[in-house]
Order: sequence, then C-alpha cells, then structure tokens
Amino acid sequence: MGIYIMKRMLITLPLLLAVSFLTFVLISFSPMEPAEVVLRAQEVPVITEELIEQTNEKLGFNKPFIVQYFHWLIACLQLDFGQSYVKNAPVWSLMGPAFMNTFKLTVISSFVIIAFSVLFGVLCALNERTAVDRLLRALLFGFTAVPAYWLGAIFIFVFSVKLDLLPTSGMDGAKSYILPVTVIALGYIGLYFRNIRSAMLNNLNEDYVLYGRASGLPENKITMHILRNSLQVAISIFCMAIPIILGGTVVIENVFAWPGLGSLSISAILSRDFPVIQAYVLIVAVAFVVFNMMSDILNATFNPRIRDGN
Amino acid sequence: MIKNYIKRKYTIYLLFKQIMIITSMDKFHLIHIKCSDPPINMKVPKNIEQRERAILLKKVYCIIFVVCISSILVACTTTKEESSEIADELVYATVKDINDMNPHLYPGSMSAQGMVYESLVENTEKGIKPLLAEDWDISEDGTVYTFHLRKGVTFHDGEPFNADAVKQNMEAVQNNKEKHAWIKLSTKIVSVDVVDEHTVKLTLSEAYYPTLDELAMTRPYVFLSPKDFENGETKDGINGFHGTGPYQLAEHKVDQYAIFEANENYWAGAPKIKKITAKVLPAGETTLLALQKGEVNFIFTDDRGADSINMEGMEQLVQSGDYQLMRSKQMNTKMIVANSGNGVSPVSEKSVREAIWFAIDRETISRDIFYGSEEVAHTLFSPNINYANVALKERSYDMERAKELLEAAGWTVDTEGAVREKNGKKLSMKLYYDNNSPSQKAQSELIQHSLSMIGMELELVGEESTSIANRRSTGEYDLLFNQTWGLAYDPQSTVAAFTSEASYLHATKGIPNTEEFYQNIDSVLVSTDEENRKALYKDILTTVHDEAIFIPITNGNVTVIAPKNLQGISFKQTQYELPFEQMYFE
Repeated sequence: MGIYIMKRMLITLPLLLAVSFLTFVLISFSPMEPAEVVLRAQEVPVITEELIEQTNEKLGFNKPFIVQYFHWLIACLQLDFGQSYVKNAPVWSLMGPAFMNTFKLTVISSFVIIAFSVLFGVLCALNERTAVDRLLRALLFGFTAVPAYWLGAIFIFVFSVKLDLLPTSGMDGAKSYILPVTVIALGYIGLYFRNIRSAMLNNLNEDYVLYGRASGLPENKITMHILRNSLQVAISIFCMAIPIILGGTVVIENVFAWPGLGSLSISAILSRDFPVIQAYVLIVAVAFVVFNMMSDILNATFNPRIRDGN
Repeated sequence: MIKNYIKRKYTIYLLFKQIMIITSMDKFHLIHIKCSDPPINMKVPKNIEQRERAILLKKVYCIIFVVCISSILVACTTTKEESSEIADELVYATVKDINDMNPHLYPGSMSAQGMVYESLVENTEKGIKPLLAEDWDISEDGTVYTFHLRKGVTFHDGEPFNADAVKQNMEAVQNNKEKHAWIKLSTKIVSVDVVDEHTVKLTLSEAYYPTLDELAMTRPYVFLSPKDFENGETKDGINGFHGTGPYQLAEHKVDQYAIFEANENYWAGAPKIKKITAKVLPAGETTLLALQKGEVNFIFTDDRGADSINMEGMEQLVQSGDYQLMRSKQMNTKMIVANSGNGVSPVSEKSVREAIWFAIDRETISRDIFYGSEEVAHTLFSPNINYANVALKERSYDMERAKELLEAAGWTVDTEGAVREKNGKKLSMKLYYDNNSPSQKAQSELIQHSLSMIGMELELVGEESTSIANRRSTGEYDLLFNQTWGLAYDPQSTVAAFTSEASYLHATKGIPNTEEFYQNIDSVLVSTDEENRKALYKDILTTVHDEAIFIPITNGNVTVIAPKNLQGISFKQTQYELPFEQMYFE
C-alpha cells in the first residue's frame, strides 16, 4: 500500500510542473506588454515609454522568458506568489484568507451535499419507482437545472428581504453560511444523489444481497452492506466534488459578496492583477490534482483490486 | 367511431397493465426471493414484515432528520442580530475594495482617499478656495507660489501639519514623477522650500496657469503624515494612512469592508456622521436587495457612471419611499472618439464624422438606455466647465442631413439600404466598446442601426477597457467610446491629452494645420493672461468641434441614493468625491 501511495504521489509531480508552466505561459500570451499591464492595473492615468522601461527593469520583464518562469516557480515553491499589482500587498496575504473563506464554504457545503445525497439516494433506491422516488428526482433535477445566481437572488429576496431572517450577503457569523451553502448544495445534490441511487440499485441485484436475504439477515443490515458497497463508487465522485466546488463558487461568491477565492479572482481578472490570477489558477489546479490523488488512494484502500492491479 | 373507442379502451388497458406491473414489482421481487429460499429456513413472512418495517422505520428516520435539520436552520435564524441598526451612520456599497490607500499612487478608491486626505487648496463652484493653505501669493511671472499654511492642523496620528510635512510630501510625489506624467504640474515643479513653520514656497520652471487646480485634485498632491513614509518615500508603499481629513480609516478587511470614523479633532469641526462604512458588494441584484433590507443605506455612482448601479431598480426603490435620489450637475462627457489620423479609414474624412454625429439619436439614448440619468450632450465640454462656454453650432439628430453630407462627399449608393461606396471602397468602420459596460453595448447597437439607415456599415467590437486604452495609444481604431476627464480636470487635462501619444494624438492628427493647433494647446497651458487663455481655448474647442473629432453623446453626473432623512447632500467639483462631512441625519 505504501508503495502504491508513493507511486501515485510521484506521478503528480510532473503533472504539477506542467500545470505551473501552463499557468505562466497562458498569462504571457496576453497581447499587451507586461509592464503596460502592470501600470494599467495600477490605474496610472498616462503611461509613458520611460515609465514602461522603469517598470520592466523593476519587475524583471526584460529577462528571458524561461528565466522569468524559473524565478517565479522557485518563489511559488516558497509560497511567495509575488506582489499584487493593485493592492500593494503580497499575493499570499490576499490569497490565504480568501482561500480559507472559500474552503470553509466548500467543506460545509460538501458535508451537506454528501449527507443529503446519501439520504436521498438511499431513500429513492429503496422506494424505486414510487411517488417518493419520482418526486424527489424531479425536484432535485429541477434545482440542478436552475442557475445558481438566479436561485441565490430569489433566496435573498425571500429569506433576507421579505422574511428578514438572514443577512443578504457578506460573511459575518454562522447565519451568513445558510443561504450560500443551501444554494451550492441544491446545485450539486441533484447530481450526486443519482450516483448513490444507481449504485444502490445495481447492488440490490447482486448475489450477496440475495445470499444475505437467504440466510435471514435483518433487512437494515443488508441495506448497510449495500450502502457501503455503493459508497465506494461514490468516493471518487465526492473527492472530485470538493475541488469542483472550490473552483466553482465564483458565481455564488459574487451573488453573496463572499470574500473568497471566487470574488478575489474575478476582481483580479477585471483589473488584470496577473500575480493573483496565476496564484488562483495554480491553487485550483493543485486542489484538483491533490484530491484526484486522494480519491485514488482512498479507493485503493477500500478496494484491494485497484492497488494490486498496479 | 367504434374503432376509435376500442383503440382508446385498449390504450387504457395497456396503461393499467403497466401500472400494475410497476406497482407489483416489489412483490414479484419478494416472490422470487421466497421461491429461492432454502426449504429448511422458512421465515419468509417474517422477512417480508421485517423489510417493510425497516423501510417504514427508515422513512420515519428520514422525516425526523429533515425536521431536525430544518428546525436547526430556523432556530439559527430566529435570533435577531443588532447589527442591522444603522440609523445614524452611513454604509455605502462599492463594487471595488478601497484597495491601497496610498494617496500618492493610483489604485486606491478616490472617494475613500477624499475623506482621509486633503490638499492645499480646494476647487469649488466659485473657483479655488483655501483648504490646508489659508492664503497664497503668486509671483509676477507666475513661477513662484508662496502658501501660508493653516495653523493648528494635525494628522490623524497626532503629527503636526507644517511646512516640513508639505515639503516631504511634495518631494515624495516628485520622486515618482514618471507615474504622474498625466498631471502637467509634476513636470514643472523645480523645488519646494520651507520658508518658516507655516510658509512654503513652490517654484516652477515656467508659468503654468492650472497649478492651483492641479494642487486641488484628489491625488497626488495631498498630505500624508511623514511618520507613515517608508525610508522617506511613498512610492514603494507606506506604513499607515494618516491624513488630515474629516475621516480616518479605522478598519479595513480586504474585499469585505472598510470603516471610516469621524476625526474628532478635524480643524473645521468634527463631522456629524460618526461612522461611514464602505461595503464591498457586487453591482446589480445583491446591492439592490441589501438596500431594500437596509444593510446598506447609501450608494453613489463611481467612475463607471451609470453602469455602476442598476438605475431601473434604484428608481423603483426611490418610489417606494424610504430613499431619495440626488444628481449632481454635469461632470463629464461620454463620447465617441473618431480617429481622424487613420488615413485608410473613411473616418479620416470630416463629412463622414459629421454624418455620424448627425445620425446619433441622443434623446433616445438618454431616455431609454440611461433612464434619464444622463443628459444629452451637444459639445465636448458642457458649458459649466471653465472656458467651455463657447458658442458652437449644434448638430442634433437629423438623418436627412447625414445622408446629404455623405452624398456631397461622394459616398453614393445605388439601392436603398445598401452600404455606400466611393471609388470602390465601402463605407465601413469599426466601433470599439468596453465589453464590461452594458450601456456602451446598448448605445453601440442603437448607433449601428441608425448608421445602417444612412448606408454606413458599423462593425461592433467589444473589448476589455485596457485593450481599448491600448488602441487609443497605438491609433489602431476607427471609432471608440471614451469620456472626458471630468469637472475638476477639464478643460486642461482633456485638452492636454490631445497632444499626448498615449491619449488623443492619433485622433487629432487629421485636423488641418495641426502644427498651429498643437501650438495653441501648448501656449494655452502656460499663458498667464486670462483673456488670452479664453481666446485660445475658444479657438481649440471650435476647431475640434468643427472637425467633429469628439462626438459627444451624453453628460455623466454623480447620482446618489440616500435615506430620505439624510440632509446636507451636496457635490464637489469632481465626480470622484463626496463631501460626507457636510451630511447629517434629521
């Protein structure tokens, strides 16, 4: 098992390197001169040739591309993503708190999503093709189909403005989590509970179920067995759900003015604050790679066939 | 008939059978299990019972779980928070964070900087008035300004505001001259000398009439406590944000909020509103809803003008009764810049530019795109701008006139509705607009439609504002949206930009006798004689108007939405600041 984990981690290294290179290259594809981008981001009203030269000198834009990349990469490894053009602060000091805010939202939403997906998945599988099953499926499918910003606005209108129960936006206190978490969860439960449901249904027809029933095992114990087997399928999906939500909260964060990665990246993109954009892309990419690795490892732990196959 | 009846009956029968199959599935399934049960262990009936009970129990659990969760949610929400009480303070919504508050650089929010920092003099409707300088003398030749500073003024950190502080601040700005190239004063300052504790002498290389106007601007010539300087400089960051203004920055959470508290020791008396919060909220629905709920009670247009707030929603909010809407006088002009220097484009022809000017329906734009929040503009500068009250001939919406102009210039068309041609060249141009500005997009679509009626083809290209700025400086465009600098800056800043490579040099290149035109601009800025200046400005403004280089559309202003009981709302001579210190609640 240890060897498998080692191998799996080694594979991610070139992947991360490639990701970092792409992050750097894509930004340099911008048609404008980098110094000009910096100065425009700083809202300098009139940009002169002299100023461009000065900025090139100061930020090292006149060095060869590959030198710039390695400088940046080495700094990134030390968690130094550079200085934000706009806020005159190190990128990590902006990224850190924003990441934590989004991470909190992501973790809470993931728990809610997992809890309700399992709940509804089991409920629907056990009541397959009954009214409960159909109603739940229709309802959750509907919520998945509704755009999050619209649902968010409706929720704010109903629960904050009309009923005056919750704050409209921002992040102060536990109450401000309720609306964003609900909107995120509603978007994803509809996707994930179907996986649980179909895995459960597949398992229902397996021989071990038949055998369990045959040997008179209590029905709730059989259900637990089915659930455990079905969850294995779902582990990888849930593991990937976390980075997907992490990178996908942009819309939600903008609707609810959540001071997280999404809002930060949007404002960075609009003002062309390249160091922040690079750090954001890198963090989300790393999150994907890491969680993908985690799901593989978890699956290997549960299912010996995978690690033996390697 | 009968055939139909049977068919229907049969369908119903099939449907019924289907339902039977579905509902009995569970039973078949169990029967199947029952049959395969080993004969020794005949606990089948109990098994069915158990299973059904288990399902029932599970349902009960689920219901309990859901009820629990929802009651927790409800319990969380019924405890009311006190923080929604904001009766005697202002909380304004802003799309951008206040950012770096360094007053000698440009990323910071100007409205926030305006509350915290002050300049030597103030630009008012009645001209330049004293602020941190009580009085000043100007030498005969206009190159030496001596300022007598206000006594007893301190920075927020307790440091005295004196001649030394002025010198250090001015020199810190001058040491970063390259970034201040837009403000011509930065190129004229030779030295700043301390005469005594409260007297400062500013020496210029040559006379420059807008000196006092430029010293009055929100930045960069404003004053920061010398204690906040880093190694005697401000260009690479500062250690604090202590100015002399009516408010001080008390707390700043990046991308969340910034709190400004009243400066109780303000030299002109402590402001009545004790706390102002700038809350970061996305434009649109969320802000509107936060206003409705009262989490935010103040909003004003930023440098993006009408695009920064949802005008339609705001109007409705005001009609509902809790809020009032206030508008300033015209602050700037939104316009289309025609690149007269682009020789290969039809836009280098005066008659084409004039035809575009005539073909724009400004009334409709003002009424239907800006919901009346912006007024129709007929000249580059509205008459309330200094030196801009010049008689110029108005070119209002007139499609026939536009067609005549094109015909006369040799742009002809055979069939109605086709694109005009001249010497085999099509009358086709590109208009660049900022794709983050919904109002620019709407305007360009309307203009595209109008121009197609006079046989002109307009291609619309939405781009990032930075790449539009880039086009402006490289000259790679036919037409693009832009706006004038604004009340406090005009006419000198926009006019100076006519000769600047980074701004309108390409646009103005096609003017006949450019030499003389640029010469006039250079001399108006250094002229010391008021009458001479007036004459020169009249000449310059008449030339660009006649040549139809800057096609005006509407005049922007500052719009404020505030609680009904807020009094003393007024405006400054700039669209970037508001005099919060004069406001109070009734």
